Amino acid sequence: MSILALEFPPVSHLFDWPTIWLDGTPLAINKTVLIYLAATAATMVLFGLAGRPRESLVPVGVQHVAESGVNFIENSVVMQTIGPDGKKFMPFLTSMFFFILFSNITEVIPFIQFPANSRMAIPITLALLVWVIYNVVGVKSQGLFGYLKNSLFPPGVPKVLYVIVTPIELVSTFVVKPFSLAIRLWANMVAGHLLLVTFAILTATLWDFFYVPAALPFLMLIAMTAFEILVSVLQAFIFTILTAVYIGGSMHPEH
Amino acid sequence: MARKTLRLFAALSVASAVLLAAAGPAWAAGETIGGCVIAQVHYVEEEYGSLSAVEADEKAFKAFEEDLEGCVEAPSPILPELDEIIWGGLAFLILFAFMWWKGFPAVKRAMDARSEKIRADLDAADSAKADAMRTKSEYEAQLAEAKTAAAAIIDEARGQADQLRQDLQARAEADIAEQRARAAADIDSSRRQAIDDLRTEVAAIAVGAAERVVGASLDADVHRSLIDGYIDEVAGAGSNGDGS
Repeated sequence: MSILALEFPPVSHLFDWPTIWLDGTPLAINKTVLIYLAATAATMVLFGLAGRPRESLVPVGVQHVAESGVNFIENSVVMQTIGPDGKKFMPFLTSMFFFILFSNITEVIPFIQFPANSRMAIPITLALLVWVIYNVVGVKSQGLFGYLKNSLFPPGVPKVLYVIVTPIELVSTFVVKPFSLAIRLWANMVAGHLLLVTFAILTATLWDFFYVPAALPFLMLIAMTAFEILVSVLQAFIFTILTAVYIGGSMHPEH
Repeated sequence: MARKTLRLFAALSVASAVLLAAAGPAWAAGETIGGCVIAQVHYVEEEYGSLSAVEADEKAFKAFEEDLEGCVEAPSPILPELDEIIWGGLAFLILFAFMWWKGFPAVKRAMDARSEKIRADLDAADSAKADAMRTKSEYEAQLAEAKTAAAAIIDEARGQADQLRQDLQARAEADIAEQRARAAADIDSSRRQAIDDLRTEVAAIAVGAAERVVGASLDADVHRSLIDGYIDEVAGAGSNGDGS
């Protein structure tokens, strides 16, 4: 695709990776799948190493990363949104945070340079899983009738307004929430990847003709790479904290 | 568990790295529109012999057209692929199972154990500090007591010294007064004795002289009274004259 004299690859070339193994089967493996597997392996290695018994009182190496993550999720996510009751969700939220983070951060890792969450598979899968969890938690905590009543008829609203509020809450709670969760993550990673590719192509094209002007998009590429590291962490955090907010809302409707 | 599990993790990591390295060359290697068209043409030529034969078959031609249109249709980026959902979902479930069963509890246990140890150490430090403070208070109390006792002893010693000094001074003054009185008495006694001796001597001399002068013997008692009267006059005159 030629845009302003730049040969820009079709979007399908940036996100749709060819199958490497098991082509034509539902278990076909491509680059995106490999990144998901690598994210799982990386998280398992991280926590496997961090959880080894040690004599030293001072944490060392990967222990810092794992423990900082656990502390962060406990203090900044669970305690802020659910409260002490939410600690039982810590393994789930921690898994989710690190899995999304490692699937995102491949965006800036040389020779991989692709965020797996710019594909819709995991964002929508996790979002639907979250949808199931917060609805089940809501029904368990409040009972089916209580959960539906609190979800669809928020207390404190004048009864006349339920005509408007109830349909909005119905769509919001049971339809929009999971999709907004998925699309937020997916769209951010797509946009980040497009930005990095755009500046990379611009740098390469200019480099073929004028060395000096190529520095500008190259500097932007470096800046955007740093920015995308931030976005990768931030999106993992946002997905996790919104999950906790939804679960907390189902557990404690009074909040 | 540790060594075996670590080996498993290491194998998983190496396998993932190899797979990712293998996927590296797949960069921008997606199917091109031209390649897709050529592949469709080859497929049709193999199936029907030539393109003309397809054109003759209306149904086959329509299917061929649809296949060619499929070449230019980019897949929707928002629709998830089934294989990615299956693998991604499976990967997350495996991760969650591991974290729920082993990974998270191990890290949390290590953190809690460390917190507990730090708390115990802090408690022990607080206890040791309290003991040290108590000991210090006791020492300070003992020191204050010792200082008070020392001050009392010093005051007592100073009082005793003052008393001793006063006693000595009084005794010395008494001795001086006594010696002075004794000396005065001695002087007075000596003076009296001297006067008596002198009076006796003078009387004897005067009697002797008078006897020689008048040649007659006077009564001794009369002479004595006369002489005493004379001496008293002389002594009275002497005292008034030179003050001795």
